[in-house]
Amino acid sequence: MVTITTVETLQDAAANKGQGTAFLGGGTLLMRGVNYGDQNVSRIVRLRQPESLAGVSSEGERVRLGACATMATILKSADVAFLHAVARAVGGPAIRNMATVGGNVFAPHPYGDFAVALLALDAKLRMSDGSELELERLLAARETETRLIESVSAMRPAGDDFRFLKVTRVKPRGASVLSIAAWLPRRAGRISGARVAFGAMAPTPVRTPAVEAALEGVSLDQNGIDRALQSVANDLNPPDDSLASGWYRKEVAPVHLKRLLLGQGTR
Amino acid sequence: MSSVEFRKDLFNDERDDNLQEIGKPTRRQDILGHVTGRSPYYDDHLFDGLLHMRCVRSPHHHARIRSIDTGMAERMPGVIRVVLARDVPNNLNTLLSLINFGKDEEKLIQDTKVAYIGEPVAAIIAETDRQARDACAAVKVDYEVLNHVLDPEEALSSDAPVVNEIYPNNTFDYHDLYDHQKLRFGDVEKGFAEADHIVEGEYQMSPIEQAPIETCGAIAAPETNDRYVCYTSTQALFFSLGTTAKLLNMASSRLHFIGGTVGGGFGGKVDSIVEPLSVLGAVLTGRPVKFMWDRTEEMQVGAPRGAERWRIKDGVARDGRILARAFTGFFDAGAYTRLSSYAIIKCSAHLPGPYTIPNVASNVFCVFTNRTPATAMRGFGITGVDFAIECHMDKVAETVGLNPIELRILNAYRDGDMKPHRRLAKNTALIECCQVAAQKSGWSIGADATRQSSLLGGGGARAEIPETVTDSAGRIGERRRAPVPTAPGEGAASKGHVRAGTQGIPIVAAAPQDEDMVIDPARTGYRGPSSTPTRIPDAAMTPDHSLQPAAAAAAPPPASRPGPVAPPSSSQYQQAKPPPPAAQMAPEPPAAQPPAVPQQPASQPYKPEKPFSRGVNRPGVSRFLSGSRRR
Repeated sequence: MVTITTVETLQDAAANKGQGTAFLGGGTLLMRGVNYGDQNVSRIVRLRQPESLAGVSSEGERVRLGACATMATILKSADVAFLHAVARAVGGPAIRNMATVGGNVFAPHPYGDFAVALLALDAKLRMSDGSELELERLLAARETETRLIESVSAMRPAGDDFRFLKVTRVKPRGASVLSIAAWLPRRAGRISGARVAFGAMAPTPVRTPAVEAALEGVSLDQNGIDRALQSVANDLNPPDDSLASGWYRKEVAPVHLKRLLLGQGTR
Repeated sequence: MSSVEFRKDLFNDERDDNLQEIGKPTRRQDILGHVTGRSPYYDDHLFDGLLHMRCVRSPHHHARIRSIDTGMAERMPGVIRVVLARDVPNNLNTLLSLINFGKDEEKLIQDTKVAYIGEPVAAIIAETDRQARDACAAVKVDYEVLNHVLDPEEALSSDAPVVNEIYPNNTFDYHDLYDHQKLRFGDVEKGFAEADHIVEGEYQMSPIEQAPIETCGAIAAPETNDRYVCYTSTQALFFSLGTTAKLLNMASSRLHFIGGTVGGGFGGKVDSIVEPLSVLGAVLTGRPVKFMWDRTEEMQVGAPRGAERWRIKDGVARDGRILARAFTGFFDAGAYTRLSSYAIIKCSAHLPGPYTIPNVASNVFCVFTNRTPATAMRGFGITGVDFAIECHMDKVAETVGLNPIELRILNAYRDGDMKPHRRLAKNTALIECCQVAAQKSGWSIGADATRQSSLLGGGGARAEIPETVTDSAGRIGERRRAPVPTAPGEGAASKGHVRAGTQGIPIVAAAPQDEDMVIDPARTGYRGPSSTPTRIPDAAMTPDHSLQPAAAAAAPPPASRPGPVAPPSSSQYQQAKPPPPAAQMAPEPPAAQPPAVPQQPASQPYKPEKPFSRGVNRPGVSRFLSGSRRR
């Protein structure tokens, strides 16, 4: 039997964590699992009023997204227009009405495209115990994480410095063969401090340090990005699944990265 | 009488065949229910005290079952009953046994050996779906993992593991004689010798899951008068009813099957797996039981369209005429036959595609591998080979430097042409199809091709059956002893000949297994075809030394070709009591192309050890139908 516990605060919810307990975000993955008899879930904890954690606001050079903000909320907010293409890439309208920012960070492979964008935008998490944590560190240990996310703060990129690409078999809203997010700040036309993250290329969204290093100081043209494209294979060891083999993902990743960097086929 | 005419005869007052629909907006007859959300599906029926059934499934491709320990599962909360193989009254079946085709070979629940991932070894009935799942996870099965084979041609090698012990050669037995279905028409070797080009190609396709939105499922419940009602997603209600009656050894009159809206079938809902299990659950518990596959099961154990591999060899004249075409085909049936055996019969009747080619030969294998059993899907038996044929036509066009559409028109069949399965082609329209396709796609074709018509130029010499070369390579079990080539004619010690103009080996449906299955025209109101199969006079056959004459896949001749009436006496039953003429009609679905029966079978045809079902015991009525048909 699955039992449902409703709590008032995120801290209460975090205190309820334990074997077989799952926190309900938008439920797009959790409830599908429960409906199909997921034997890992025996207890669901939900917030009575998740709206209090669903805000989207501007904080100087950063934006703050509540963990319970849905993809539809993101799409309605002009403050985060740079994330609209990312939010639109998540599921269909029904999924976007329910799927949350916090849930996306915990979405298993091949889901979690929004977290890929957050990773590229240097996201920092405010956790239920009040501490701050880099998204990258949480992703590395998310299987054992017992705290919950309260909100996420991400950089606001300038101009077309931020790019996102999701590659699917089924158009327009299949699950990812892979997704790529790149934040490419430029000084005098040359890239400085790039962050490039891939989704569906590892158990969690991951950054690609070799690609980022290869992009340092180059201009965004075919010659400039060559070394970065060659580095893709060094950083990634993608899994096989029903959508694509790891081999295929590794073969096409540089092709899609090239299109993203040169502005071909971005959405 | 073809199946189409048979249908017209029986259902004349139920369907208007004068269809005038193309180019007009037509409302689907079921669309109002769908768009208003009122179409009733089996799962919309509610029952008090409904129990849920789930299966414990094999995690291995191939493994022997050493033991099954259900002790812990039985003690778990909500568990009402654990169902094992021993609870299934008649735990061996093959779907087409309902029409006497093939040997019983698949268990509803396995107890000795699993042959594909997902094969059920136990079922749990519990108060909730989750409790049933938890109990399934607690069942301990001790497996001895065996070598497995996943490729059909590897499965044909002499040292391949035996997938299905009823068919120890990993091939379906055709006509108690060969490990494949043969089709012979003319002499392909002669055609190849006369050709200017030989064009060869290999083509293959993967399994395709029908992926219905509504997964397969059924709810069964005890009814009054010792009957059971079963609401099911099946697309073949009486097939499911008959299969359930057989597996549960229960009179079909005790089964009340209710179909209705099928939430997507496409061939994937004829295998009748869920109905017997849910009815068995209702019998064992006395309560309503639902057995519904989840999406993972639908994808993993739901029988797909099987994988196929084809090799085609064409002999082509310089001007593009195809003089000979040889096929070697492999249908991957998965671990059990289901409907693959029938797909191959249908496929063989379709060869060489919609073309008139004077010399055609094919060997098509129904091969057992340790994959999910395959079954029907749209265009069943035809789609895969048509893909291969049309790819190959393009290759031929490239070789001879012809416009590919003109090449198709040049070789197209026309009304009145003889097809290799010895039926005259009618209602052919490939030429017109090609012309319209060329026009719509702006593909230019020559004036000569534009002038052609399917109605003209057929028949005459093209309606003749040529002298046909036969062989008897690939007899059942031969491949286990030593490798035998798979291509038609190869590996034959000697060749036989069937004289020109002869229909080939006479065909009758397999003899009824039981006396009361003989169709009685007085009761059914249907008297069968107006003529019966031709028997080849012994003099027409050139003996193939000591071997049996090879069976040319041949259908009963058209009604316009009268012939002697005597069918071959190939079973004891027929010797004892000749059946009325109607018994020679093969029942649907393989009516279009019933299997060839050898003139002198090497051994008695397969007969199950015990007759199935205790159905309505009324002469002339199938055991599996509780009501009477319209007269």
